[in-house]
Amino acid sequence: MTKRLLLLVLVGALALPLAGCQTGRGSHRPDPNTLYVGAVQSSFPSAYMPWLSREGIAPTIANMLYSSLFSYDEETDRYLPSIGREWYYVDENGEPILTEDGSIDYARLEEIYSDPQYDYLAVKVIIHQDITWSDGVPLTVEDIYYSFDLATNHALSNHAGALAWTSDLKHKYNNGVLVEKGLFTYERGALEQGYHIDPAEKDYVIYLHVNKVLGAVTPLFTSVLILPKHVWEPVVSRENQLNSSSPSAELLYRYTHPVGCGPWVLDTEQSGSQQIVLHRRQDYHLKKPDGSPLYGVDTIKFILYKEQNVALYALLKGHIDVLDSSVSSNYLLLFAKEKDLFVSNAPGTFTQTLVFNLNPVASERNPLRDLLANREFRKALALAVNQDELIKNVLDGAGVPASAGLMRPSLTDFYNPEADSIVPRDYAQRLALANEILDGIVPDKDKDGYRLLGGERISFKILGTPGEQDVVSFLQIQFKKIGIDVQYAPKGAQPESTYLYTSKFDLVLQGVIFSLSNVDIMYPAHFSTLGRTSNYGRLVNEGLNAAIEEMRYTLNLNRKYELLKEIQPMIAQEFYKVPLYTANVISVARTDRFTGFQVVEGSTVFNSESLQNLRRVEGR
Amino acid sequence: MKRLWMGVRKRLRGAGELLAKIWAHRQGKVGLIMVTLLVLVAIFAPYIAPYNPYDVSQRTTKGLPPSWQHPLGTTINTGQDIFSMLVYGTRVSLIVGVTSGVCIAIVGSILGVAAGYLGGAVDTLIMRIVDIMLVIPTLPLVIVLTNVLGRDFWIIILIFVALGWTGLARTIRSLVLVLKNTNYVKAAELAGASRWHIMIRHILPGTSHLVIMSTALSSAGIMVAEAGLSFLGLGDPTAISWGKMLAEAQSGGALLFGAWWWIFAPGLGIFLAVFGFMRVGLVLEEIANPRMKRTSSVYKLFRSLDSSYVEEVFRSMDDYQRIGVEGVSSGGGQSRGTGLEA
Amino acid sequence: MKLSYVIKRVLYSLFVFAVVITLNFFIPRIGVEDPAERYYPPQGNMSEIEYEIVKQLTREQYGFHVSTWQQFLNYLKGLAQGDLGTSFRPGSPKVLDLIKERLPWTLVLSVSTMLIGLIVGVLFGVVAAVKRGRWQDTLLLNASTVMVALPSFFIALVLSFYLGFEWEIFPAYTDSTMVSEFAWTWEGISRVARNAALPVMSMMVGSIISYAQGTRNAVIAVTNEDFVLTARAKGLKRSTIRYKHILRNSLLPIVTSLGMSISGLIGGQVVIEQVFNWNGMGTLFLEANQTNDYPLMMGIMLLLSGFTILSILLTDLVYVLLDPRVTVGDKR
Repeated sequence: MTKRLLLLVLVGALALPLAGCQTGRGSHRPDPNTLYVGAVQSSFPSAYMPWLSREGIAPTIANMLYSSLFSYDEETDRYLPSIGREWYYVDENGEPILTEDGSIDYARLEEIYSDPQYDYLAVKVIIHQDITWSDGVPLTVEDIYYSFDLATNHALSNHAGALAWTSDLKHKYNNGVLVEKGLFTYERGALEQGYHIDPAEKDYVIYLHVNKVLGAVTPLFTSVLILPKHVWEPVVSRENQLNSSSPSAELLYRYTHPVGCGPWVLDTEQSGSQQIVLHRRQDYHLKKPDGSPLYGVDTIKFILYKEQNVALYALLKGHIDVLDSSVSSNYLLLFAKEKDLFVSNAPGTFTQTLVFNLNPVASERNPLRDLLANREFRKALALAVNQDELIKNVLDGAGVPASAGLMRPSLTDFYNPEADSIVPRDYAQRLALANEILDGIVPDKDKDGYRLLGGERISFKILGTPGEQDVVSFLQIQFKKIGIDVQYAPKGAQPESTYLYTSKFDLVLQGVIFSLSNVDIMYPAHFSTLGRTSNYGRLVNEGLNAAIEEMRYTLNLNRKYELLKEIQPMIAQEFYKVPLYTANVISVARTDRFTGFQVVEGSTVFNSESLQNLRRVEGR
Repeated sequence: MKRLWMGVRKRLRGAGELLAKIWAHRQGKVGLIMVTLLVLVAIFAPYIAPYNPYDVSQRTTKGLPPSWQHPLGTTINTGQDIFSMLVYGTRVSLIVGVTSGVCIAIVGSILGVAAGYLGGAVDTLIMRIVDIMLVIPTLPLVIVLTNVLGRDFWIIILIFVALGWTGLARTIRSLVLVLKNTNYVKAAELAGASRWHIMIRHILPGTSHLVIMSTALSSAGIMVAEAGLSFLGLGDPTAISWGKMLAEAQSGGALLFGAWWWIFAPGLGIFLAVFGFMRVGLVLEEIANPRMKRTSSVYKLFRSLDSSYVEEVFRSMDDYQRIGVEGVSSGGGQSRGTGLEA
Repeated sequence: MKLSYVIKRVLYSLFVFAVVITLNFFIPRIGVEDPAERYYPPQGNMSEIEYEIVKQLTREQYGFHVSTWQQFLNYLKGLAQGDLGTSFRPGSPKVLDLIKERLPWTLVLSVSTMLIGLIVGVLFGVVAAVKRGRWQDTLLLNASTVMVALPSFFIALVLSFYLGFEWEIFPAYTDSTMVSEFAWTWEGISRVARNAALPVMSMMVGSIISYAQGTRNAVIAVTNEDFVLTARAKGLKRSTIRYKHILRNSLLPIVTSLGMSISGLIGGQVVIEQVFNWNGMGTLFLEANQTNDYPLMMGIMLLLSGFTILSILLTDLVYVLLDPRVTVGDKR
């Protein structure tokens, strides 16, 4: 009797899962017009407050639902239309400062604005006239005014406003009271300011006052996502701030049902904690030159995967079309065995550098770190770095050497080869030179060949994440050739506050990315400013600081480019942030349903070029 | 000086007799062999392993299947020899397990004896702490503590000890309550011996069999717990341990690539280590208490894993409640959790 | 006697709970100077003054602008109202909501494991007890010794490799549509069952074996008790003896251990959930840990501790009711 019962129970226990065997097999990518995208995140957001969304997939989604005034083209250092159609620097009458052929006349700009009465630059932006919000309401400059105004008014927007990067806008609030006006539309003071606007265009022209630097417009044009005034103004108040940890019901509704003017709309019903569904907006104002829609897919479905291997498994099994995540080069072997895959091995934009703590605060100084303060010593270590070896061993060849001036060589107009010619190319020569230098500083060695300082072996700790242990291991080998010992030390959960801002480290691995759009912010943050910035080693070089300052503040674009070039060798000669490699971005997509994926520098295969180029494969 | 030497000799002889008894036991033989083997592997790792996994220059092609040069192949993400990693991993796992086990034994027995013998406020305080620690779920607490205190090798051992002493303390305390009333302790008290003297020279040795047994069993449990922690990615990032090998296997895509050997090797390692230590521990328990021989070894294990209430129940059903041997500290075992259940 | 005992136990449980709440609050804050650090935006080209304002706003946002003691009081006030806190995730969802969303999925796994373990295990155990000394018994013994030494996540990896990747009988990783497209239909439920198969299989072996062993030994021990002897002497039918006396009494320890494992049911097996990418409480805790999301971490730990205390209390009281032989008083 017991035996029979046992059998029954066993059979029952096995039956249920096996029963599901037949069903559930066919639910791979059922919808033909949908692109299934795998996203490797720890969780999906439940709200899309565009100015707050910094983590995970939220910035990607926010940038698809919302738009900024312009988008930036790295190659040409130009702004492409988005909400805005055209923009100009203008004089006191609102007239564009242009040369005869229509480009910005920097000489005249400099002349006009060097007058000390101006502590700002005046900019005029004309927006497209056919833009509507996803709920049908037309977009006007009122929305733009509202967005910038809200961002600068912390009493209403809390720190979400700060995250909108409007600090270069000369429109300021103090505790809810406007103390400096820097935004002007037809209905909001443009005429009083002296800017002429044709009444027929009053909804499409706005003037801004920005800081008197050429880089001021970049964050304002490209990173501030414009919000709809008719949606947010009724719900945001001092009691119910834009960024609230206990939002009211209306505010919460606005967070979870975003209304934007971007090319995509959120499908709030189908989106949840495991997937996000976006639909292409039919009435998006930007189109291809031939009038056809800009994007080739109607729907995008993001599916959440906690771990990369799970996502890759799903990709190989055909659950998703593309993986929005870069994978390590180890997987290239796996991809080679499969068909119907498009592998993108794109050049990267992130440079991995080794940063020296060359000027620690007084309490953190010790004899070893005093060595780091010696530029010749740093030069020797920099000479011992063999980027080709690192790329071969750590990246399996999927990477390129980086320039010592930390500018990407692919930006041919701005890269200065002089930054790399201050040291020999040949590795054997470099090692010889490095040993020669070190023999002059710390000639004593112990029996293993490591150099000694005061009888003790010189040993530095390199901070890194657990994934960077490999890099440190190979650096160990390279530095051994000049007799210096390095060891890996874990970075910890909050490296900035625990080690880096307080000079509690010898060396650290840091990924940097310098591009034209961010040098105004990044150069000072990395090389000049002391304090809670990326200048972990606290470099102080008067000449470099002066050059960076001038570069930021000059109104002459040509002079700016010149200085950019001059700064690169100066950075290289400091041997402060020594480049190790620039890793490629490897990503993969399936081509059995869609073709047309594009390789874009610094991006995965899921990028806007691909989206614009995708076509359905016939018959699937 | 001479007395010290004689004391040491007595202890060594006692240890030798114990080992002989374990050896005589059929299952004890197996356990002892396994433990000895593991210890030897750990000590002589550089001679046994063909490559040094910590040496970067000895890495080679990634993702090789097993071959003569690489008996277990190489890892997919770094090209290290898996067999060498297995051998060196013995060191880490054994060190963490045995050190934690020994420290738990020390802390648990001291606190248990103090609570049992001194009674009163000391007893209440220690037992309340035990109650509170019993209630907080172990794995989340370990995760939070590694987040807060760091993931250094020794900090992890500290965390394991801090969470693991409670079971042993409780058990020792019950035993001490019984020992307290034996004639010879009472005689010592009457003779005017100080409390410290009694605790150290009389009571503590009386619990020695329990302590040794707990060391073995909790070492086994800690090894599994450490493997679990490393598997979640929360262990020491620089040390090669079996749990970390399993984690790397999973995140490196062993499953995707079909490299089953990468998964089996560390799993086997964990199994052998835990199995060996557990055997020794259970055999020790049998030796200490011959009555226990009647029941199966896992019965004892099962009993040892649960709370006081189940122990109460079994005690009321068995007839050796008079001895009061309740079982050993938490550790090992699937049912109640090795700290892997929240 | 009984009432005072009950009151004493309840008060004691409340005391333990209070201490746990306090520990729960302060442990994640050990050694962290500025808990809002993680949430500050980068400074960029903001001036120092502007940056300080932003940092202050951020602190206010997350409630870190008051003293730690005040934060603790706010926390207690929230608890009294049943509010476990607000997570730091974007969108500021309530901790309780996040838990409510994930808890059912963990329960699917843990309750299934427990039920299978219970039913199959008890049956095996009885069989082994009855056939004591024969092959069924030895099989159980050997299986137990092996199972105890194999960590469950290793079994999980092996199962997912063979049954999932190689032979493709079950999905190796949880399909996310299981949650997003769940409905109370045959298809929805069978999809859940299919995805749950491997995790449950990894956990159930250990569960079965431990219940089996416990039952076996309890049955054997009870069989030797006096009152069974008496019943036999009285000439009662064998089946009566078996079911009424032996089984009922030997189930007592099983029931009590069940009570103890309730918190395990809720917390779930963190490692197994991670291996199979199963979105339950275990992975929720890991996510919270990764992002330093204190309210969520604290909320989950508090919930689990609370349940443990509750189940210990209930088990205690139920036990006293059932078995008056046990002396009331300090059991430890």
